[in-house]
Amino acid sequence: MRLEEKFKKLKQEKKKAFISYVPFGFPEINMTGDICLTLQEAGVDAIELGIPFSDPLADGPIIQKATNWALDKGANVDLFFEEFSKFNKKLKIPIVIMSYYNPILQFGLKNFFKQMKSLDISAIIIVDLPLEESQPYIKEARKWNIDNISFITPTTSRLRVKKIIKYARGFIYYVSVTGITGPRDLSYSQLSKHIKNIKQNTEVPICVGFGIHNSNQVYRINKFSDGVIVGSEIVRFIENNYCEKNFLNKLKTHTKNIISR
Amino acid sequence: MKIPNDKGYYGEFGGKFIPETLSACLEELEIAYAKAKKNKNFVNDVNFYLKEYAGRPTLLYSAKNLSKVLGLNIYLKREDLLHTGAHKINNALGQVFLAKFMGKKRIIAETGAGQHGVAVATVSSLLGFKCDIYMGAEDVKRQSMNVFRMKILGANVIPVVTGAKTLKDACNEAFRDWVTNVRDSYYLLGSVVGPHPYPMMVRDFQAVIGKESRTQILKKEKKLPDYLVACVGGGSNAMGLFHFFFNDTRVKFIGVEAAGFGLNSLNSASLSIGKPGVFQGANSYILQDKYGQIKNAHSIAPGLDYPGVGPEHSFYKKIKRAQYVSVNDKQAVAGFNLLSKTEGIIPALESAHAIGYLKELAKKQKNSLVVVCLSGRGDKDLDIVRNYNGIKL
Ligand SMILES: Cc1ncc(COP(=O)(O)O)c(C=O)c1O
Repeated sequence: MRLEEKFKKLKQEKKKAFISYVPFGFPEINMTGDICLTLQEAGVDAIELGIPFSDPLADGPIIQKATNWALDKGANVDLFFEEFSKFNKKLKIPIVIMSYYNPILQFGLKNFFKQMKSLDISAIIIVDLPLEESQPYIKEARKWNIDNISFITPTTSRLRVKKIIKYARGFIYYVSVTGITGPRDLSYSQLSKHIKNIKQNTEVPICVGFGIHNSNQVYRINKFSDGVIVGSEIVRFIENNYCEKNFLNKLKTHTKNIISR
Repeated sequence: MKIPNDKGYYGEFGGKFIPETLSACLEELEIAYAKAKKNKNFVNDVNFYLKEYAGRPTLLYSAKNLSKVLGLNIYLKREDLLHTGAHKINNALGQVFLAKFMGKKRIIAETGAGQHGVAVATVSSLLGFKCDIYMGAEDVKRQSMNVFRMKILGANVIPVVTGAKTLKDACNEAFRDWVTNVRDSYYLLGSVVGPHPYPMMVRDFQAVIGKESRTQILKKEKKLPDYLVACVGGGSNAMGLFHFFFNDTRVKFIGVEAAGFGLNSLNSASLSIGKPGVFQGANSYILQDKYGQIKNAHSIAPGLDYPGVGPEHSFYKKIKRAQYVSVNDKQAVAGFNLLSKTEGIIPALESAHAIGYLKELAKKQKNSLVVVCLSGRGDKDLDIVRNYNGIKL
């Protein structure tokens, strides 16, 4: 399913999107499938699947540790596509790839999008590719009808926001804090103000990510956003519980609790 | 041709590959730097402190004994004689005055050998900035004297335990701190690496090395050198030496990378055996596996122990303006010993790579006139060399 369709449906149902991030290959290469399917069962609306990179500049300790772990387990782009093809048919929700630029660049932009397309993945987020460097990437993404998801942050100027939304597809990833991923307290009034400003200029849905780690935050943010992205909290839960019996059930319950609709 | 262009590109290399949060501050930095360059007070402050505080101009010393042993005519650009003991202070002074010009409150930096860290701690205490320095836990161990120096100077040294616990990891942490504290903090990057405008700014602040060298060698030898030789970690002392000679096309540039345990083993020779890719803000040569993951580097010289290199060096390689060679740990230590024994000058292990290459150069072209950047002094490395040589006191 494409993001556009998903957001349309959510709008009709008067619901907000709950998107969760998990890194591929964590805690084991062959667990990613089960984890994704469990998140789907728990009711998440889309999954951001991270392709690990050795030097994740924008990530805090929880995701750093998980992605390094995945790399130690042998995670790489080839293996990602290979594994993903084993469970993609069972996924009914949109999948978004999230990574840093170099692994994708080395694989080749064209090849990468081609693989995505063949596996029905229709959106991508690249953390270290700001608008200025995006032109070749956006051009190629358009050819393959892949949504390139853009970031807007508290430090993005109004002028820049205007430029960014011109190219935005899928949804806009609003970064809740100036900082890296990981649990945080959030200032809702600031957030709401920024997001209302952006909304005046675009129809593209805006989801808020970074720092969100409990259902109360989800509830508060959804009052002014089109959805939330939760990463570190789920990754942390996986790390602490994956050895337990009934891990997948526990993950499902925990995720449901954060979604709490 | 303007290098870099407005987008911070050196040919196909360079750019600004950073999370969106940093876009605004890089833009702010770019604008502030352009303004500061035209601001009399800023320029005067930097020049005054380079001279009166750091000790510029540095000497261009005719190393007669070393020349005789190797069969070359060697001059050493004595950056090791600067206050704090390395070329890093040139850049630290320039940028700390920029931080002041921008009204920032706090300085963040990364350091490998600790030379940049010491330089930053020094200028921070000079101008009264709060200062946090990230240093790989491995480097904290091998350069403990510099850690102690930074602490005495009032800096907060934060050991980094991620990755290989060396320079690249310290750099990541410094970036993460900056992303989090962009509004009041200034990231004082230590080499010609990272996103635009850093490679350009650091080059400009280090270009004084080549500017002085050119005047000095013309005065002493009445001609330009045949070769410029400098070690390349991120590449700031090398670019600093090369930059002013760019249009002197008969002057050949040689950048010496660290071959570490060897080119088939762990090393830091990004230009020699790496491939272009995007890492820590720029497109440049990097050590990476076929999946685009950055490899761990190794060098006996902590300041060279880095899997990337400045984009302008990648450009120089591409247009063949410079040649990049490599020297392994053993050859570097040999260079260290050679300079100490022949000239009574103990070089930093980083600079010892440049010295270590001279033997090769002599084979290529006897008696040529060579300017070598002696980027730093070796006090910080005595423990490493003692362990390497197995010397008992
Ligand atoms: C004395 C000395 N030389 C050289 C270097 C390498 O840096 P660059 O290549 O930027 O000159 C360092 C870095 O710490 C250093 O301390």
